[in-house]
Amino acid sequence: MINWLNKECRLAASPLSWIMLAAALLTLVPGYPILLSAFFVGLGLMHSFQNAREANDVLYSVLLPAPKGDYVRAKYAFACLIELIAFALTAALTALRMTALAGAAVYRTNALMNAGPLSLAFTLLIYAAFNVLFIGGHFRTAYALGFPFLRFGLAALVLVVAAESLHFFPGMAYLNAPAGERLGPQFAALAAAAALYALATFLSCRRSVRRFETLDL
Amino acid sequence: MPVLEVNGLCKHYPGFTLDRVGFAVEAGRIMGFIGRNGAGKTTTLKSILHIVHPDAGEIRYFGLDFAAHERAVKPRIGYAGGAVDYYRKKKIRDIVDVTRRFYPNWDGAACRRYMDAFALDEEKTPQQLSEGMKVKLNLTLALSHRAELLLLDEPTSGLDPVSREELLDTFRFLRDRGVAILFSTHITSDLEHCADDITYIAGGRLIASEPLAGFLARSAAEGAGDTLQDIMVHYEKESLYDKLAE
Repeated sequence: MINWLNKECRLAASPLSWIMLAAALLTLVPGYPILLSAFFVGLGLMHSFQNAREANDVLYSVLLPAPKGDYVRAKYAFACLIELIAFALTAALTALRMTALAGAAVYRTNALMNAGPLSLAFTLLIYAAFNVLFIGGHFRTAYALGFPFLRFGLAALVLVVAAESLHFFPGMAYLNAPAGERLGPQFAALAAAAALYALATFLSCRRSVRRFETLDL
Repeated sequence: MPVLEVNGLCKHYPGFTLDRVGFAVEAGRIMGFIGRNGAGKTTTLKSILHIVHPDAGEIRYFGLDFAAHERAVKPRIGYAGGAVDYYRKKKIRDIVDVTRRFYPNWDGAACRRYMDAFALDEEKTPQQLSEGMKVKLNLTLALSHRAELLLLDEPTSGLDPVSREELLDTFRFLRDRGVAILFSTHITSDLEHCADDITYIAGGRLIASEPLAGFLARSAAEGAGDTLQDIMVHYEKESLYDKLAE
């Protein structure tokens, strides 16, 4: 898989996939729906799929001396690499907001969702949606990009709205505490989201490999 | 033992059927694969590489069933669909470096030799190369992993006469070193200069697969013509003049 990731990074990937990692910095912006950073990471990844399609990456790849399914696994592996780097950056900035910057007035009066374990959980759910809806949708044909990205965009919108709404429900205001309150349930939600991300990505990858094996390219 | 055996290959598309195509390619021989546009040459080549999935048929490389031994077979074959049409904006150096890591039998010295012989500048990108140079880059990649069989889909299309002759020279050089070449084209004059065997398909059906000299002699005796072009025209030409005049 190292060789495949090397191929993805050097030949198939768009620079935008790396540039969009900077969207993690949106985590620090007050009065901004911070979960959109995960959507932008997905947008950057979509450009790599588009770049690969235009560069005939699939034909080059299926002729390499490896099972055809490795091509699909490499696409998922590259997406996970970018997502996990973005998640690590987002988590670090979230920790900064919850500690050193917790007293900042802009965060104490922030009407939108503050960064915390729950926002990280939703970040992972958006990445899971990308892997299932976009990458999984793309590998129905190994060509389609538009509709799979539209489906991902709609799912991301629903997740962002849901996450931003939660702390307005009675008894849920603690979810927006700048320094974090009742962290136990929030970390439990984060762990559940991480498990869901891993499971959804694994199942989507497995199904895409099966589909890809039967496609006429 | 043939390096490639194809038996009963079928692939159905709406409006086109590849119907029980079969042939064998021997080591150290060049087989020309001819047929008019849409005859099924590319479908056949893609099917025998599993780029498309045949509905029926047996494909054996080096005596091994391809479906069961794809991983073992692929390092021993090279495919070039004419000019390089992937990673047009990436440097040749990067394409070569990424490719070599996948091949345990990659021969760096051979790669260097072909790059020099073909005057390929590794700092260039495929989009900066002429069509002839793109074909040579494809060949370099295929030959650097010591492919024993080259599958070439219309590699001389779009090339000027000098580039075509240089390419045919390369094929003859490779044949003399034991490499087998299956070479699809509709520029039949190229084959008369280098092919040992011929496989001819029309409308998805096999017309002939035999040594070129025998095919030419038999066709001449049947009054079909003396050259591959005459033979194809004899068998396949429809009179558009009459149709248009109706």
